[in-house]
Amino acid sequence: MQGDGVTLVAAAPSTVVRPEVDESTALDKPWIVLVWNDPINLMSYVTFVFQKLFGYSLEKATELMLDVHEKGKAVVSSGNREKAEMDVYRLHEHGLWATMQKDGDD
Amino acid sequence: MVRRRPPFEARRSGYAINLDEEERYFVRRLVGEVRELLTSLPANDPKLERLFPPAYTNADGEDVDAEAEYQRLMRDELVASRLDAIGRIDELLADATMITLTTDQLNAFVISLNSVRLILGTILGITDEDDDGDPNSPLANETAMYNYLSWLLDSAVTALMQV
Repeated sequence: MQGDGVTLVAAAPSTVVRPEVDESTALDKPWIVLVWNDPINLMSYVTFVFQKLFGYSLEKATELMLDVHEKGKAVVSSGNREKAEMDVYRLHEHGLWATMQKDGDD
Repeated sequence: MVRRRPPFEARRSGYAINLDEEERYFVRRLVGEVRELLTSLPANDPKLERLFPPAYTNADGEDVDAEAEYQRLMRDELVASRLDAIGRIDELLADATMITLTTDQLNAFVISLNSVRLILGTILGITDEDDDGDPNSPLANETAMYNYLSWLLDSAVTALMQV
């Protein structure tokens, strides 16, 4: 059960096994999610969406919003393909112009 | 001009909604039009393009297949999620006794108001953030609606961010 300390302690491994580095994982670049500047979405709204979806502080969300506004785009999240796609979906649900790409692509 | 209370205000519990009967009717009519467009227009109608942007930066290049898959799987979800938000606020606005909103309900407002703005902004060809529209254009009514919705949305977001 989540939040049950006894269960969590019992479930913890007694020794930490370090997984070997998998070369294919290292080469499999994670995906980044970009939000692009657009003339319709309000600055306050964009900041609000970043806070709501990603739990960013007001400072962090405002900084990202200003990057979008001034530089034309900002990376708002990253991760594996499934996570990136879900983040893009949630941003689209809120009407933001978001796309994903492999990190390093341009 | 008489100063009025903000349309949405954070309270100790929930959010006050200060819209009169006329405003409630007006918002219901607008979101009703969005519902109509979402259910009747073809997927590639330019009016809807801002509601369904591409998911992949390289949608026309290396990720063309992934993009097609995203659109196939997620587009209906996006439509359903917006129709759900619209249905909820339509029901709330129809009830004149409903003067306090939960966070969830105000979030449904925010998503719906923004959907209307995205469509109106596309129709108006808004290309600049400071573009408040030309009051003498044939689309002056749409421009006024757009600015009114911007004001409503900003108020809702401000209320939500206060908590």
